[in-house]
Amino acid sequence: MSILGRAALLLALVGAIYVVVMSLASRRPGRRSWELSAERGVYAVFAFTTLAALTMWFALVTDSFELRNVAEYSSTTLSTPYKLTALWGSQAGSLLLWAWILSGFSAVVVYTNRARNRQLMPVVMAVLMGIAIFFLGVLSFVTSPFETLAQAPAEGRGLNPLLQNVYMQIHPPLLYLGYVGLSVPFAFAMAALVTRKLDTAWITSVRRWTIVSWIFLGAGILVGAKWAYETLGWGGYWAWDPVENAAFMPWLVATAFLHSVMVQERRGMLKVWNMVLVIMTFSLCLFGTFLTRSGIIASVHAFGESTLGPFFLVFIVAVLVGSVALLVTRLPLLRSAHSLESYLSREAIFLFNNLLLVGLAFAVFWGTMFPILSEAARGRRITVGQGYYEQVATPIAIALLVLTGVGPLIAWRKSSAAQLRRRFVVPLAVAAASIVPLALLTDMTSNWAASAVAVAGVFVVACITGEFWRGMRVRHALGGVSWPGALVGMVARNRRRYGGYIVHLAIVVLFIGLAGSKGFATQADVALRPGDRATVAGYTLLNEGATRGADAHKSTTSVKIGVFRGGDRVGTLYPGVITYTLDETRASQVAIKSGPQRDLYLFLSQLQDDGLARISVFVNPLVSWIWFAGVMIVAGGLLAGWPSRPSGRREPAGSPASDGRAAA
Amino acid sequence: MLAGILIVAAVALAVVAAVGWPLVTHRADDPVEDPAADARRAVDEDLQRALEAIREIDMDHRAGNLSDEDFAELDAAERARAVELMRRADELAAP
Repeated sequence: MSILGRAALLLALVGAIYVVVMSLASRRPGRRSWELSAERGVYAVFAFTTLAALTMWFALVTDSFELRNVAEYSSTTLSTPYKLTALWGSQAGSLLLWAWILSGFSAVVVYTNRARNRQLMPVVMAVLMGIAIFFLGVLSFVTSPFETLAQAPAEGRGLNPLLQNVYMQIHPPLLYLGYVGLSVPFAFAMAALVTRKLDTAWITSVRRWTIVSWIFLGAGILVGAKWAYETLGWGGYWAWDPVENAAFMPWLVATAFLHSVMVQERRGMLKVWNMVLVIMTFSLCLFGTFLTRSGIIASVHAFGESTLGPFFLVFIVAVLVGSVALLVTRLPLLRSAHSLESYLSREAIFLFNNLLLVGLAFAVFWGTMFPILSEAARGRRITVGQGYYEQVATPIAIALLVLTGVGPLIAWRKSSAAQLRRRFVVPLAVAAASIVPLALLTDMTSNWAASAVAVAGVFVVACITGEFWRGMRVRHALGGVSWPGALVGMVARNRRRYGGYIVHLAIVVLFIGLAGSKGFATQADVALRPGDRATVAGYTLLNEGATRGADAHKSTTSVKIGVFRGGDRVGTLYPGVITYTLDETRASQVAIKSGPQRDLYLFLSQLQDDGLARISVFVNPLVSWIWFAGVMIVAGGLLAGWPSRPSGRREPAGSPASDGRAAA
Repeated sequence: MLAGILIVAAVALAVVAAVGWPLVTHRADDPVEDPAADARRAVDEDLQRALEAIREIDMDHRAGNLSDEDFAELDAAERARAVELMRRADELAAP
């Protein structure tokens, strides 16, 4: 097993080196066969990394404890799905997953571009395989997932209980799909710089990759937040943990890129800035991987101490120095086709949006790195608390929220004052009118940030609803179709635009969920003997006695809590503690009653023999809005990135129609 | 162990053959790539974007997002760009 896995990784490494050499050499005229060979080399690298991944999965499923990775992260008592996901429970296994996804994406890139981007593709392949060489080198020579033990134990240590959760089964792969996917735009950007082919071809080729990777990364972040919420027992979902930040930063910069790329497509502007964003995004993806693996930070999400840090650091520096140097040498070729004509234009709004997103990413970076920098400079680690992040992020987030409504209503190039008045009167009036019911019916006035988010949210919804309404009205009038038909036709004809609007609406839902749950949460600790009651934020909790259950893998001790509201029983919750048979490790069993208005969240901190249960009670308003926003973001993103049907191509006079090799 | 070695050896041989095949079968009369193909595709994609922009500007105007003056200016600029791209596409398509 070990030999098979190690050999597969070594062969993948050799294959990746071959691709880099052959693809770069193939750039000379008359060497198409070299390029074809390099393309096949990419498929071979994918085949070998697939073989390595399958070998590791086989070892996990068959309890091959002679492999250290299996002995330390799996056990005979684990169910098969958890054995499979134990692959990314370990440092080396997660790097194998990285390399496998990268090689798979590289194969897809090569396949979908086999008849296009011929000048770019050799360099694209070289860059992607260059990245693969780093990961395969680390897997082959630094931390092998196929390392064997001198003596195989009879039983493995099992998977960390915190990872035995359905969200943890999908959170890491989602993040890696996002991280790795963002290496494709980087590879195309570098190829455009190397080949000096700096028209919009590379932008067109990476737009869909960026959207899909952005969706994966965003979904991964939200699934990780849900895991934290349902597993860790502190009542929250986001703690500005360094590893959470590590995934959030590239997502922010990728969001900036998705907006600024439209300015380059439409107006030929921000070419250098887009290159900078692509380089930053990919570097931050590597930085996130470095943070999780270097052991320089302590986090529930991070792997333990390791020797990988210096390798990652050198690689990140090499990527940054190489790509920035290349960019500097090409600056004269990246002059904008136009200049900013007015600050009241869509491109100006996108620029502001970019500055805010990158500014927020920098603030998060600074907060993440400050403890490390302070320790290096003064020998004392100064921790940056949530207060710093919330102080910085809140005003930026509110400004970004407002821009999500303003941007779509402002025309490219310039908007006249009369135009702005006409467009914004209704949304502003609706937002102003919403203040009264919000103040009367909610607690919003007690929290300025939540109030601002709510009013800005109403404004954005009014702006976007107006856009949908006006578009439908035009199509309805033009085509004589029904109103639903007008809506469907309008969205189908411009998926990118209306998919983007759905994402903007999702951002409103997300922000309202964040504002509600951050600004109006109630927390109380109660001690209940059997038959005792306690009331927290309108919920009455009744201790109805302890319950116990067990299977071969774990035993669960919980307390049955009857939940009443307004005198009616609204549910029963079982907060408890799970004890794993194998090593007596414990994990909390958080009990949540979730609803659109609020979550009741119970965490059992102690259950005494006499039945006294000490419970932390959290009442978190609007948390489920956050998860719903995640679904909307994925739906809107998919709509925006979904391939369009090839439009009717114009047939040039006197020449045959296009060669039929449609763009992938 | 032997089975593992045999599997790897078999896969490696097959892969080497597949990867090396284009080098072995390369002939001097292999069709020369059309260097203008990428340029044509890029112009075509730019043209599609310009046509999309014209449709979008028209939609914005009809929806009331653009005044008549702004529409006239933006539409004329985008149409001029589309015409220029069509001209370039025709040039590139010419034998």
